[in-house]
Amino acid sequence: MIVRKALIRHGRRLAHSPRQWTRSLATETDLHDLQDTTEAIDSSLSNATLQTKSIESQAEKSGVQYVPQIDARTQMSQQLLGDGTKYVYDRHRRQQKLQNPLGTTVDKGYQPHRLLTDPPRPSDITLELLLASQAHLGHKTSHWNPANSRYIFGIRQGIHIISLDVTAAHLRRACRVVSSVAERGGLILFVGTRPGQDRCVVTAATMAGGCHLFDRWTPGSITNGDQILRSCRKQVVDEFDREVPEQGAALKDASALKPDLVVCMNPIENWVMLHECGMHGVPTIGIIDTDANPTWVTYPIPANDDSLRCVQVIAGALGRAGQEGQANRREAALAGEVTYRPNRPKRIADRMNASPRAVEAATGLANTGDSGMGPAADGVANRSRNSEVDKNLGYHRAELAS
Amino acid sequence: MASKGSFTGIFSPSYCPKCYHQLSRVPRRSIQTTAKRTAIAAPPIDLDSLPPIDPSKGRIVPASPSYFTARPDSTDHFLQLQTLLRRHQTLPTISAAQAPRVAWRTLVQYRLLIGEPVRAAKYHRILEILQRLNRIHPNAVPKDLKETLEVFKRDVDPFAVIRPPAIIDEDGKTYGVGRRKESSAKVYLVQGEGNVLINGKSLNAAFGRIHDRESALWALKATSRLDKYNVWALVKGGGTTGQAEAITLGAAKALMAFEPALKPALRRAGCVSRDPRRVERKKPGKAKARKMPAWVKRSATTGDEAHKLMKQSRDKVPKAAAKRRKDGLVPAWVGTNHLTGTGVRSIDVLAALMD
Repeated sequence: MIVRKALIRHGRRLAHSPRQWTRSLATETDLHDLQDTTEAIDSSLSNATLQTKSIESQAEKSGVQYVPQIDARTQMSQQLLGDGTKYVYDRHRRQQKLQNPLGTTVDKGYQPHRLLTDPPRPSDITLELLLASQAHLGHKTSHWNPANSRYIFGIRQGIHIISLDVTAAHLRRACRVVSSVAERGGLILFVGTRPGQDRCVVTAATMAGGCHLFDRWTPGSITNGDQILRSCRKQVVDEFDREVPEQGAALKDASALKPDLVVCMNPIENWVMLHECGMHGVPTIGIIDTDANPTWVTYPIPANDDSLRCVQVIAGALGRAGQEGQANRREAALAGEVTYRPNRPKRIADRMNASPRAVEAATGLANTGDSGMGPAADGVANRSRNSEVDKNLGYHRAELAS
Repeated sequence: MASKGSFTGIFSPSYCPKCYHQLSRVPRRSIQTTAKRTAIAAPPIDLDSLPPIDPSKGRIVPASPSYFTARPDSTDHFLQLQTLLRRHQTLPTISAAQAPRVAWRTLVQYRLLIGEPVRAAKYHRILEILQRLNRIHPNAVPKDLKETLEVFKRDVDPFAVIRPPAIIDEDGKTYGVGRRKESSAKVYLVQGEGNVLINGKSLNAAFGRIHDRESALWALKATSRLDKYNVWALVKGGGTTGQAEAITLGAAKALMAFEPALKPALRRAGCVSRDPRRVERKKPGKAKARKMPAWVKRSATTGDEAHKLMKQSRDKVPKAAAKRRKDGLVPAWVGTNHLTGTGVRSIDVLAALMD
C-alpha cells in the first residue's frame, strides 16, 4: 500500500523523467544471459503473491471489514466522465459546420476582433478608415498643447478635431520608417501600457519581429540596461534568423540591447521612456493627441490615443509595415545579400579582425565563397560531406531566387 | 541442439524447455529496434535548403520578444496561457466546485522554477487563467493544454494522498485516534449497550467536571447513539479538557467507520475537524504570550532608583570575597552580574533592593 501511495504521489515526476518506460522495450538484450535472473525474479514474485494471498485469505477468514471513505469529490468526478457533455458538444460543432454554409450570407461589417486577427495594411489606410476609428477626436480645447496647432483642423463642440489628411500622411511615413528599420535587421520595440492595448501591441510586435511592452516601462531599461536587463537572454542569429549556437559564451560579454526604434501608443504616460530614448539617440514613433507634446517623439502621428479602435488600427498598420520589411530582408538573404551590418559579440569580432583564418579554424567553418577570403582553411577537411553538399545547394538556391 | 535450460528467448521456443518436445516452427523475431543504415547513396537534393550557418553574418537579438519587460520568461508564460485560453474559450466547462483539485506552484516555487523575481500580482494573473483552464470539462481537455498545465503544477501532488480505509475487526470493534491541545486518545468502539471505560475508570471517575463528561461523549450524544455503542478509551497527555475533547474526536472517527452516513451530522456537531489551537508561546518583553508587565512610575529595574541601589550594592561587596578575588583565588568572572558590569553578585544587588 505504501508503494502504491508513493507511486500516486510522485507519479507525475516519474512520468516526466527523461527516461521513458518504452526504452526498456528498445534495448537489445541477450535473454540467454538473463535467464537465471528472470527465474529468480519470477520465483520471488510468485512467492510474494502467495504470501499476499495467504494474508488476505486469513484476513477474510477472520471477518475483517474494510470501510471505504465517502469522498464526494471523487464520486462527482466519476459522474462527470460519463455525463455525455463531450458528445453533445461535438455534435453541436458538427451541426455548426454543416449548417453554417446554408442560407443567406450576411455582409461582414465592422467586426472589432478583425483589427487584431487581420490588421489593416499600410496600403489600407484611408481617411474613411481613420474617421470610422475616431482618429480625428482630440481633447477639450483648454487642454491643448499649442505645438499641435498645425495638426488641428478645427473646433467642434468644445473639442479639437485633428486633421485626418495629416494623420494619414504621418502614419504612412511612420510605416515606411518601421518597414525600413525591419528590413535592415533593426530591433523595434512596441509600447502601449494602457489597459486594453496589450493585445494589439503584442500582435504588432509579433508581425514586425520586434519586442513588446504592455505592462510598465522599468525606468533605466536603456540608460541602465546592463543592470536591469542583466538576466534577460540574448542570442546570435544569422541572416536567416537561425541561431548561431557556438557563441553562447561570447554573448555574456555583450552589453544589454537597445531598441533601434520605439513605437509608443501612449506617449503621455511613457515620457520617462521617451526621455531615455532621446538621451541615447533611439528614434521614436508616437501617437500624439492634442494634449501631448509632439517634440517628445521623432515621428509623431497626430491621432486620438484614447480610442482603442484607433490605436489598434495604427498599431496594426505599423506591425504590417514591419512584416513587409522582414519579408524583404529574408528575400534579400535568399539572394545572398546581408541587409544589416553584422553585429558580432566582441570576442568573435576581435578574432575576426586579428586573422580571418584563425577564426575559421576556431569556429570550424570556412568562408562561404562570397566573402572572397582566399582558399579553404584547415577546418574544411574536418567538415562532413553533407555540409559541403548543403553549402553548394545554398548557392544553387540563391541562383534560383535571383 | 540446445542443451536443457538454454531458452532461446520468449519469442522463439522451437523446443519445449521442459520435455524436449519439438514445437511447431515459429519464425524467429528479432527484438532489435534500432535500424541500421546500409545504403551508401547520398540523400536526395533539397532545393529549399539554406546555406550553412555563417557566424560572420551574426547579429545579436533578444531570445524572447518580452526582453524589455525585464521578466521575459514569466511574461511569455502569461501570453502563452492567454493564447491557450482564447483558443479553448468555447469548450464546455464545469463549475469551480466540480473542477479537479490542483495544487499549483506557490509564488516562491514559481520564482525558483524560472529564476525571475516575479511580482505576486503578476503571478496571480497567471493563476487566474490556470484556474479558468482547469474548469474545462475533463472529457474535452485538449492534449496540448494538459501538457502546458503540468508545468504549473507542484512536483508532489498533496491531493493524491488517500486515507487508508477504516477497519472493523473480527470482534466487531474499531478505533479512532483523536487529539486536542496536548492530549491524544485512542478510542475503541464496539456495538453494545452504552458502557464507557476511560483508562480503566468509569466516566465519572475519569472526569470530575460534568462539562468534560458531556464533551467526551458528545459525538455519540449528538447522533443519539449513546445506548448503541460501548466505549473503551486510552487517553494520555494534557489536562482534563484536552483529554475529554480528544476522546470526542476519536469516538467520532470510530463512529464514522460503523456509520459513514453520520459524517454530516457529526460535522454539524463539530466532531470531525481537529481543533488546531495550541498554547500561544510566551514573548520577550511580555509577562505571558500577550500580557504586558504592570506599569510602575519609577521601575526599580530600569530607572534612576535602580542605579542608585546598584551603586550602593557595589560598595557592599563582602570584604572576604573581595580579598579572595584580589588574591586570585577566584577568577574575576565568577559571580559577575551583567547588570552592574562589575564583580558584584546578583544576590547582593537583590539584597540591596530588598533593603
